[in-house]
Amino acid sequence: MTEPAAHVVLSGVSKHFGHRDGTPMAALTGVDLTIATGEFVAILGPSGCGKTTLLRLLDGLLQPDTGSICVGGAPPRPGPETGLVFQSFRLIPWANVRDNIDFALTSSGLSLSERAEKVDEAIALVGLQRFASAYPGELSGGMKQRVALARALASEPQLLLMDEPFASLDAQSRELMQTELMALWARRRPTVVFVTHSVEEAILLADRVVLMAPRPGRVIESLPVDLPRPRWGYDVHGHPSFIALRRHLSERLRELVLTDPGSDFFQRGAPRS
Amino acid sequence: MIALYRVLVLVGLIGLWWLISLQVGGVIIPSPPATLGAAQMLLAEGRLLPALGDSLITFLGGYGLAIIVAIPFGLLMGAFAPVGKTLEVYVFALAATPRVAFVPLIIVFLGLGVEAKIFIVFLGAIMPILINTYAGVLATDRDLLEMAQSVRAGRVETFRRIVLPGAVPFIIAGLRLGATIGLINTVVAELYTAVRGLGGLLALYGNTFRMAEYFVIVLMLACIGVLVAEGLRLAEKRLVRWKSGS
Ligand SMILES: Nc1ncnc2c1ncn2[C@@H]1O[C@H](COP(=O)(O)OP(=O)(O)OP(=O)(O)O)[C@@H](O)[C@H]1O
Ligand SMILES: [Mg+2]
Repeated sequence: MTEPAAHVVLSGVSKHFGHRDGTPMAALTGVDLTIATGEFVAILGPSGCGKTTLLRLLDGLLQPDTGSICVGGAPPRPGPETGLVFQSFRLIPWANVRDNIDFALTSSGLSLSERAEKVDEAIALVGLQRFASAYPGELSGGMKQRVALARALASEPQLLLMDEPFASLDAQSRELMQTELMALWARRRPTVVFVTHSVEEAILLADRVVLMAPRPGRVIESLPVDLPRPRWGYDVHGHPSFIALRRHLSERLRELVLTDPGSDFFQRGAPRS
Repeated sequence: MIALYRVLVLVGLIGLWWLISLQVGGVIIPSPPATLGAAQMLLAEGRLLPALGDSLITFLGGYGLAIIVAIPFGLLMGAFAPVGKTLEVYVFALAATPRVAFVPLIIVFLGLGVEAKIFIVFLGAIMPILINTYAGVLATDRDLLEMAQSVRAGRVETFRRIVLPGAVPFIIAGLRLGATIGLINTVVAELYTAVRGLGGLLALYGNTFRMAEYFVIVLMLACIGVLVAEGLRLAEKRLVRWKSGS
């Protein structure tokens, strides 16, 4: 088997933040992770394990304290080559949907008409044609999230970083968006790093699920998902691999939360359902 | 609906004024009809409009100048942290000094004419506009700035599309405060330098206890205040249309 080209390589990455009392707090320690070009990786882990920090490092918004990060052979640099969907929408309140998306293309080197075309494409992709000139204040939470997604996709990035992008959607839109994302990924084949709290979402979407643990934030497991693609048109949730993987990951997450002294549920041993 | 309530309150206020005037006597508080009569007389004598013109030139000159200087300067201080951090101490110091203290100095340099008056208004109006503009730039949403960084938007683009629109509500608040202080300083200037304009008439009728005429001038000043405030409200409505929702 030939090794697929690595797109993202993290080796020995750690990141600390200053505590209020001045002592550094480890948000991430000793992270080694290699992601192949075109791979879809889901990052799963309890709150505070450094998932968002990891994405900000991958986008080049933060620099690691130790270790090195390579994206496409060079240290990451924010820009149109990498699309980041933030956990909160971060839309510009005084710009309409169209201008919000266009803002992501200002450094793309495209002409105004090319930019308008890309914006239209991105709007169509998330199905917001009718709201192209609406302001964020006039949109529902789910629609705002779709604008944020369209903004990240507009520049057709090779690396797509998504921070719990569907967390605020209702079940139906969430399912639709998941399918949309899978179709888009199959078409454009960007490398995707998808952060989520949901075990099922991670398994449904990803080629590989990376499990993280908090305090200090670290990677503890990396599990391939061998479910046939495309993962729509058949009962993915009933597939034996899906069920086995879900059971395993849910167990591990539960364990992590109950044995983490920093967690609100430490040694609570809540009854199993 | 609000307009109707406003008219009702106005009617109520005039009624109250009339009542008080009847209680204490028209010599101290003139009745509304007496005041109206005085206004007609002042108009007929051709004293009111020239005074109003004088005051408007002073006010609009000083206020306009303050806007032209304060907004770019405030933006500059906010956009370039070293400039802002260096100068803010002096700005706050100057803002805390009663500007009336400078009047003698201004008279020495600019005399008693319209230049001195405009400068006194300018000095009063500039500080709130400057400080608010500066604060508006500093209050820029950090999350939006990180988003801008993430898409590698340039400094100019980020300023134009994120920082500046975000500062607009602050700037308008500053313009409001500046207008109030500017109007007060218009009267102050007309009293302290060559006595002219509405401020001059205010002093004249106040000192000679011609209360009906005095009231006319006070009401004129109040009207200017209302007009400026309404103008700013309309400007705000246009500029921050996105906030209204539908
Ligand atoms: N800018 C910062 N300053 C100080 N501490 C920070 C900062 N950013 C993150 N942290 C801390 O680092 C740890 C990891 O944060 P991060 O946001 O990466 O977690 P997360 O896994 O994304 O959590 P969640 O699932 O709740 O979004 C947390 O303990 C957080 O308090
Ligand atoms: Mg997070």
